[in-house]
Amino acid sequence: MKDELFTMTPEMPSMSPEMLARWQEELRRNSLRMKHFSEMVMNPKEPEVGPTPREEIYRKGKSRLWRYASKRTHKTPLLFVPNLGISRPYIFDLMPKGSFIEHMTQQGFDFYLVDWGVFGPEDNDLTLEHAVTKILPRLARKALESSGAGEMSVLGYCMGAPLSLSWLASTPEFPVKNFIDMAGPVDFSQVGLFGLWLDARYFDVDKYVDTLGAIPADMVKMGFKLLKPTMDLSTNLNLWWNLWNPDYVAGFNALNKWANEYLPFPGEFFRQWVKEYYQQNRLYKGELTMAGRPVRLGSIRCPVLAVGAKEDNIAPPGCVKPLVSAVSSSDKEYVELPGGHISLIAGRGASVHCWPKVSSWLAARS
Amino acid sequence: MADQTGTQQLFDMWKKQVDEGTQAWLRMAGQGQAPDPQAFWRPFMDQGMQAWSKVMTQGAVSPDLMTQWKQFLDQWIAAWSKVLEQAMGTEPFAQAMGKQLESFLNVSGPVKKAAEQQVEAGLAAAGLPSRTQVIGLAKQIAGLEDKIESLEDRLDAILARLGKKERE
Repeated sequence: MKDELFTMTPEMPSMSPEMLARWQEELRRNSLRMKHFSEMVMNPKEPEVGPTPREEIYRKGKSRLWRYASKRTHKTPLLFVPNLGISRPYIFDLMPKGSFIEHMTQQGFDFYLVDWGVFGPEDNDLTLEHAVTKILPRLARKALESSGAGEMSVLGYCMGAPLSLSWLASTPEFPVKNFIDMAGPVDFSQVGLFGLWLDARYFDVDKYVDTLGAIPADMVKMGFKLLKPTMDLSTNLNLWWNLWNPDYVAGFNALNKWANEYLPFPGEFFRQWVKEYYQQNRLYKGELTMAGRPVRLGSIRCPVLAVGAKEDNIAPPGCVKPLVSAVSSSDKEYVELPGGHISLIAGRGASVHCWPKVSSWLAARS
Repeated sequence: MADQTGTQQLFDMWKKQVDEGTQAWLRMAGQGQAPDPQAFWRPFMDQGMQAWSKVMTQGAVSPDLMTQWKQFLDQWIAAWSKVLEQAMGTEPFAQAMGKQLESFLNVSGPVKKAAEQQVEAGLAAAGLPSRTQVIGLAKQIAGLEDKIESLEDRLDAILARLGKKERE
């Protein structure tokens, strides 16, 4: 019986050589999946993020200004203003060949990054107005001094766009050469699910801030997870599917590290952000004031590029596009690119669609 | 050869469970008029069933089976995502969320306050600076830094004016 078993020829359905090769490839991928999976579980490695060399130019409180030097083929430096709170800014310099900052420096732009820092309970009195009228202008001035240039381009990403618009629109004397709004909401009446959930009828921001003081990172995380509840499921499914590919795994590890590091909001900052921007839409309506100065988007006259992401559910294209009609610039453009809020600026798609568009638009004007 | 009837039954059960789950979820979210979830499931269910039937009836099983399975799951997630997004984009959902948050604040507020008072009392009894005192100190340092910066700005402005006069 035993001998019979060993000598038996299995009854395999007829299989073409092409099909056999594909099965072999599938088996190879499966063994790689198992290998990478066991490595991730048994021997997880801390991904190295932020590979582009940089130097600290200035520090104000928790906030820092970083300079990423380039060969400087363009004389106008670029100041990058990201969101305050929510997440860390290393997403813009995630990994080699997967970094917006690396791309921009390779294109010859001196790149200055505003790193707002991680705020604690001692910063609960920090208002949005303070960030816009004290921290941001000072960091921008230091960037100008460091570069020796007379003008600078400003790129606001996500919340960084309305923040930098509030600063520039209330400070027309600042020598801004170009402005780019990347996935930054401007007309908050079109801001999608967050706009609805934070509506004054349903969300009492005063009670929220008065009770909690700061907005804890876990609350921020919950809000963003709720925005796309199936995200974790599809992320893990895609990970399993691509687990055979070491490049994908490396990218996943870096992105996953970032995606799980949420940051808290200072209480007063959050109050002003929700009330004046989300609930009252004051920036777009021209009703906002900063340090007693009116914030008028119409006072912006430099070239403006607004970039929306087709599948963005945090800042849908409908709330980004209105910037173009609100500014007084004669040179202005709106583009809608594939991707979501993050994949617009980070990831493979970004390196094909967004980065070349932004760098070429700036290069022609720097 | 796989049992096609068995697969069909499995899918029917799954589809039924998914439909019922969605309907229940939408009712829970307080949607006045529930949209027809069949509209979301039908296209990818049909596509998935066709693909599976084809795979199960052909002689040799091809590795395409894996790709089709992945596509099926992607579409399933996308359909769920669409349904959830629709339900969460309603005023009743926003209202329910606001109420839930308010109840949370009503409970957590007094608890947080009591805990803070207890910690403060404990630290004071041990002769250690309290959290409020440390935060106050940090705020004072931040205020001091602001004042130094404003002096620095004034100095820069004076130096710039002097430099201009010298050049004249």
